[in-house]
This record gives sequence, structure tokens and C-alpha cells, in this order.
Amino acid sequence: MIEVNNVTKKFGDFIALDSLNMHVERGAIYGLVGPNGAGKSTIIRHLSGVYKQDAGTITIDGQPVYENEQLKQKFTLIPDEIFFFTQANTLDMMKFYKNMYPKFDETLFNKLLNCFPAINPKKMVRSLSKGMQKQVAFMLSIAARPELMILDEPVDGLDPVMRRQIWSLIMSDVSENGLTVLVSSHNLRELEDVCDHVGIMNNGKILIERSLDELQTSITKIQIAFDGDMPKLPPEIQVLKKISTGRVHTLIVKGEPREAEKVIGAMNPLLMDVLPLTLEEIFIYELGGENYAVKDVIF
Amino acid sequence: MQSKTSFFNVALLKKNLSRTWIVGLLYFILLFLTMPVNYIIQLSNYEESWEAQAGLTKAQSLYEIMSYFPVAIWAAILAIVIAGITFKYMFFKRDNYMMHAFPVSRKSLYFTGFISSSIVGLAPIILNAIILTFVSILEEAYVFDGIWYLTLVGVVSYEFFLSLAVFSLMTSGQIVTAIVFYGIFNCLYLMIEVAFRLTASLLLFGLGQAMEGININPWTPVAFIDNNCRMNVFYTYDNLGMVNYFTHSLDGAKYLIGYAIAAVVFIVIGYILYKQKQLETVQDFISVPFLKPVFTVGMSFFISMVAGAFAAGLVDAAKPLSYNAKFTIAIIATLIIGCIVYYATQMMIEKTVRVFSSKKFGFMVGYTAAALVAMLLIRGDVFKIENKVPAADDIAWVGIQSSYTMVFTDEEEINSARELHKNFLKDKKELRDVNILYKDVPGTSVSFKYKLKNGNVVIRDYAVVDTESDQVSSSYLAATEPILDYLNNPNRIKEHVVGNIWDNCDINYMSFSTYTWDESISDYSSYVESFDYLTDREKNVKFKKVYEAVLKDIDAGKMFRTSFGYNAYDVDNDPLYNDFSFTVHNSEIPYFSDEDTYWDYNWRGNEEIYERNIYVSLTKDCINTLKALKDEGFYTDDDQIVTYSEYYERTGYYDGPILY
Repeated sequence: MIEVNNVTKKFGDFIALDSLNMHVERGAIYGLVGPNGAGKSTIIRHLSGVYKQDAGTITIDGQPVYENEQLKQKFTLIPDEIFFFTQANTLDMMKFYKNMYPKFDETLFNKLLNCFPAINPKKMVRSLSKGMQKQVAFMLSIAARPELMILDEPVDGLDPVMRRQIWSLIMSDVSENGLTVLVSSHNLRELEDVCDHVGIMNNGKILIERSLDELQTSITKIQIAFDGDMPKLPPEIQVLKKISTGRVHTLIVKGEPREAEKVIGAMNPLLMDVLPLTLEEIFIYELGGENYAVKDVIF
Repeated sequence: MQSKTSFFNVALLKKNLSRTWIVGLLYFILLFLTMPVNYIIQLSNYEESWEAQAGLTKAQSLYEIMSYFPVAIWAAILAIVIAGITFKYMFFKRDNYMMHAFPVSRKSLYFTGFISSSIVGLAPIILNAIILTFVSILEEAYVFDGIWYLTLVGVVSYEFFLSLAVFSLMTSGQIVTAIVFYGIFNCLYLMIEVAFRLTASLLLFGLGQAMEGININPWTPVAFIDNNCRMNVFYTYDNLGMVNYFTHSLDGAKYLIGYAIAAVVFIVIGYILYKQKQLETVQDFISVPFLKPVFTVGMSFFISMVAGAFAAGLVDAAKPLSYNAKFTIAIIATLIIGCIVYYATQMMIEKTVRVFSSKKFGFMVGYTAAALVAMLLIRGDVFKIENKVPAADDIAWVGIQSSYTMVFTDEEEINSARELHKNFLKDKKELRDVNILYKDVPGTSVSFKYKLKNGNVVIRDYAVVDTESDQVSSSYLAATEPILDYLNNPNRIKEHVVGNIWDNCDINYMSFSTYTWDESISDYSSYVESFDYLTDREKNVKFKKVYEAVLKDIDAGKMFRTSFGYNAYDVDNDPLYNDFSFTVHNSEIPYFSDEDTYWDYNWRGNEEIYERNIYVSLTKDCINTLKALKDEGFYTDDDQIVTYSEYYERTGYYDGPILY
């Protein structure tokens, strides 16, 4: 559904997007992850038609996004910083969205309103808490019946219960209506639960773009212990990181896990455990641990 | 395939109107109070009002009320407020990103914003006109031409200022800066002119009065529209204080057409800028790339040019400088200040103090070289500013002002004055440094003022010194003496100092003060003989005899003489302390006042005057006049004639030269 090919964007001398390629299939929930300054918000602004790329193409459903009024009616954006008109209450915003999005479903909106009883629809939206503003944004977005929803740090500011509720609404829309979701977040554990595809971004480029299953099977954590020093590993085992504590060695190995298990098993270790990596761990190792401060906290 | 987009979006229109209607309401209240309500209040007690007592009709009163309203200023304020609120989203990242992520094109955003702003601004103007029309019908004051002309001016002004405001908002990513730009665009021409005139007045030969005669032209719309396009009323009073003539003008339509066209141009340019605008420039000082160098060079050049001239002026005030020394200081200061302003401007544009790159330095060197060339061109008078003597065909009148003021309107005199001026400018080298070369020689100034047929004014003012001094060179005399000879021609003095009716006038008033020493108070006591015992006819005969003597003294070169070293109040030349004045009058021929014309005094509007009081500084050399005054009984004893030096010597009031 989304095709981003060789997109470059410069802000003065700074290259924010560097020949970036990204592909999101219809019906997918695509998690866009990357360290701060990787260019996530920049590519989202391109996808939502705010920025115009210096080079490359961006299409949704085969059409260029920039200044495409009718195409934009098919998707909604929830940015990291929510915007509502001054003085507008939830109902005013609903009327605005209703006029903007032809498929806007007022009945659905009213149903959603019942799901969020804490929100007074006649109260000025800007006077609501940040979390409540996010809820209003989600209600409006979902009721617009989009084919694509672009979310930038969507559940930031929401409590765990509300996060679950929001995600469940989105997931049901995905399953029932084939909604495509592009979500950027720092909360990798949460993305792991909802995404089926992941793009890892750094320095304005997509480093890896795969399904989550593929990604999780392409990198493995193996804990091994040998009687004496650890023998030299064969060259087909690509070790991204090795941490040794006494005789116990923890290896982060890239490649098919069963292959690695077989090769290392043949070296007769005293102990060998093959563990799956979380998305957060994969993210850190794929980025080489650079620019990501939590690496030492996790290990 | 990209879909077609519309110009207009109803949801946006509703959103915009919901945020700006309050401004329109406030404007309507202002219009409603200042026009219909004001008029109704005035009519409620009309018989007692000064308008009724002065003989103004209800219709004329309404014309007058409408003429007071400063249409353009309010339109300019209203336009930027409404446009600012409507397009506010462009100046805040969050709002900007979200608005442009909605399924609406920039075309829709721009034109819907413009339409909603127009509705909010125009609705009060049109509604007020409708109410005013009803009120005028009810009061039988049928001034529909005035009401709807005022409305037309309001509509065109508002649309023009709105287009300029929207254009300005597209040039910056900061709302405050955009509003400042709007103010600058409104007055850009005037600001550039003032900068040049200020510099010229401080540096250039003869341009000391360059700040005078600034003419507001259509390029300064906020001032021009109210001065030239809105309805004006004009009326005169008779001797009983009753209005005897009333007219109103609705003659700014040609300018309104020009402003309407300009509005369309600004709307189109504004749209192109919006279309091309990169939204990441939100919060940037300037968001249009090509404006950055224009702004940098413009700011650097104009600020440094004025500041450099001020620096030279300050040094000159502390220690008089020659023309070349002053210019050298100005050029050096301009270049140094220009470099500082250049980097300061870069810091503003880039929003950082880290602007010292080799690329920018190279640009600055280029700018500095260009500024140096510009200053040298000004110094070399390549633009013919110092040497400018307007073409005879362009001149409505030319005035020469020194001790007295003369204004020449006929072709021959205009050409003579131009030749005098040209001759004076032949060799400027010595003339422009008279303050240094002849610093011990008493001096004064002489001004040439050209009023051009297009309304513009060219004034040149030169320092001159006493031509009688033995220190001055022959070339100096060659430049200045022809002017004195021209001004001191007796017939010219009569025509231009006494006035155009000098040979065909009655003298219906004359006053001469006498001074008699009074030992009891150790001071002079003054007396003016008023001849109250005579009839007007007898007085006129008496005064006329003295006037004839005055003309004789003028012919003898004893009165109203201009001298570049002579000051009418200079004690050494012994002017009389006695005041002498008379009034020339002709009830058939309007009096042409050279002085009022020269100084643009228009205190009686277009009303003709038929008499003028003439003040004369007498000396003891004015023997014909003094004799006539004595013969006619204005004084009886020669001791009643006292010079300034005699007066101050005897009274002890004065210890040194009088400073004026």
C-alpha cells in the first residue's frame, strides 16, 4: 500500500532522509522503530503529505501523496503532538472531521464516545488532559473509517488500561476492515505485541524491513559454557556480540537459529540454551548498540 | 494520477469564520458607533448643534462625519488581525503539520482562508453602508454617493491590505516577524526614501533640508489612501461664521483601481509562495529562500548607510570637517557597520550565532565591495543629486530664501533662478567647504526650493558667507554675487517682498513705534501714534505718503536688501529698535504671498487673501521713510529713533550679540 523509493530530504546541510526505501503491505501493522533523530517523524510527515521530498517517490495505493486531497481522505494521522482548534470541543472537531472525511461514521463515533466516558464532548478539547486528547484523536481517527492510519508515538501519555483499549479498537478495525497501520514508537515491547512488520530506521535510512517473525528468527541469543576456554567458533557463525561471565558466554548470533544451534552443539558445550530475542534486543543489536542508551540497562 | 483539487472548502470556511467573526463584530461596532450612531445623536439635538448654527445641512453633516473616518488605517489593522488569526496555523509546528495532513490542498487552505477573511472584513463595511443608507433616507439626507463611495474605498482598501497581509504571512515562519514584514511592506518605499534623504541631509552638499518635502505616494498605501482616496469635505465660512461654501470630493477612484489590481497581484504571488513553501520552514525568520539575500543586503546597506552618515555627522558636530573628510568617515563607518549588520542579519535568519563560515564571509566581502561602490557613486554624484536643477518644464515655481523669501512663477523668472543655481553649482569644491575655508567670516544660508508640477519638492540649502569680506576668493564671488544682485533688484523686492499688489494698493494700516527715554524708570517708554482722530480716508492718504517713501528707499537699495553676511538683527548694522509695519490691500486683486507659498502655509485653505501686513527693519539709512514718518506725524523728535545698539547700551539689557 505504501511505497517509498529512494526518498531523500535535506534540512539545510543536514540529511534527514537518505535514499530511504520502505514498503508497507495493505492490512499490515507496520512498526517503525529507530533511535531519536533517525528520521521517523520526518518520513511520517512525508507520508502524510506535509513535507515534500527532495528526491525519490512516495506513493500510497500507487498515487503520490503530496497535495493529493482525495488520497488523503483515505488515511488519518495521529501525530506525536495532537492538534485541535482553539475553542473547539469534541463535537466541533467531530463536525470538522465529518466534513473532511467522506466516510466519517458518526454512529461509530458516538459508540466510541461511550467507550471513553471520562471525556465530556462539550468541553474544549485543549482543556482536556494529554491522555484524553489522545483518546479524542483516536475516536476521530477511527470514526473517519480510514484505509490507512499513521500513528506517531500514539499511546504516549495513555495509561496501560487505555493503551490496551485503544490497541484493541485498532486491531479489531484491522481484522474487520483491513485497516493498514503504520506506527512509530519507542515502546518496542508494545510494538512487539501488535506489529506484524517492522522497519528499523537509523540515520535517515531503513536498515531492516521484515515481518516480525522473520526478524525474530534471524537473530538469536545463545548461552553456552565449555569445559575450559571457549573454542574458536566456525566462520559461518556470525556473532554480533559476545559477553562472558566466568565460563558462561552469551552470544548474539545472526542467522538461522537452528543452524547455529547445530554447529555450536557439535562443539560439545557443557551447557547450551537458545533463547529468542525481544524486539528491543534485536533493535539494539541491529543498530550495533550505538546511539541507544538503554543497551547497558538491558544487559 | 493526482486528483483535481478545489479552491474552496466549506469545513475550513466554517472553522475560519468561527475563529474570526468576533473581530468583524468589533469592527462593525466601531463603524456603527462612529457613523450611524454618531449621526443619529447629532440629529437628535440638531438645532442646538454647532453644525446647524453654522448653517450646515443634515446631508452636509453626514458627509462631514463620513469624511473623518480613517478608512485605510482601520482596513490595514483589520486585515492583518483577521489574516493572522486565519493563517495562524502556519506559524506553529503542531498546527502546521496537522492542517496540512488533513485531506485538503494548499489551494483550498489558501483561497478558503482568503475568502473567509474577506467575508469577516467586508461584512461590517457593507452592513454599515446599508444602515447608513436607511438612516440617511429616514433623515432625508440623501448622500448615497458619499456612503457608497466610502464603502467602495473601504472594500478596496480592505481587500488590498488583506492581500498584502496574506502575502506577508507567507514570507516568514514566525507570526511576529510576518506582522513586522507587513508593516515594512506598507511603508517600504517611504522607509527607503527616508533613509536616502537622511543620509543625503547629513552628507551631501546642499541637501541639509532633504528631509523636507517628503511626498506620500501610492507606494505607501496606508498613508496614501486616506490622504488621496477617501471622501474629503471642504467648506468656508463668511464673516459671520456661517458656512458659505461646501463641497465634497470623491476623486480617488483611479487609485482604487490601481490598488485593486495590486491586490490581485499580491493574492497570486501569495498563493505561489504558499504553494512552494516548505513547511519545515515554520518558525524560520524568513521562509522564502530568495528573500534571504534580499533581506540581508537591504538591511545591511540601509542601516549601515544611515548609521555611517550619522557617525560622520556626529564627528562633524564635534569638530567641523571638510566635505571629503566627512564622506571618508561615512564610508568607513558604513562598511564596518554594514559587516556587523550583515552577520547580525544572518544570525536572525539562521537562528544561531554560528554563522561565521567561509561561504558567508565571501558573500559579505562581495556585499562590502558593492556597498563601497555605491557610496563612491553617491560621493561622485553619479546620480546627479547634488547637481540637480529641475528642468524648467517640470517646475511650478521656484523660491529663493535667504534674508527674505521670493517665489518665482513666471517662465522667465524660473529660468533666471535656475541659471543662478546652475552657476552656483559650477564649482562646488570651494563652496561646500565654506565652513572650514571661511570659518571667521560671518555667514548665513541661501535656499533654492523647486515645487514641481507633479507635486514633488526639491530643496537645496547652502551655507554662504559675507561677499563683502576680503577673505573670500574671486571664484566664490563669481558663484554668489549673481544671486545677491538678482535678489536685491528693487523691482524684484517690491514684487516679491512687498507683494504683487505693491503698485496698486491701499495702505489701510500703518504702525511705527517711538521710544523716549524716561529718567524716572531708567528705561525707554514706547508710543505708537494711532491717528484715531482721523477718518479712514485721511489715514489712508497719510499712510500712502509714507509708503511712497518706502518705495523710494527700496529703489535706493536701503531696504529689504539681502546680504550673505548681514543679519537683520545684527547690532553692527544698526537696525532701528523702532517697529515699523504696514498693510497693503487691494480688494480686487488677490494677494500672492511668496512666503506662504514657499513654506506651504495653507491656513486659509483655498480662500484668496486681499491684504498683507509687511514688517520692515529700518536703518537710519532709510532717510526717505524716516522723513515721511516724521512729516506725517508718526514721530516728532529724532531722539525717538533708536537703534538696537543705542537701546541696549542705554538700558544695559544686552551684553553681546543676540542669538536667534
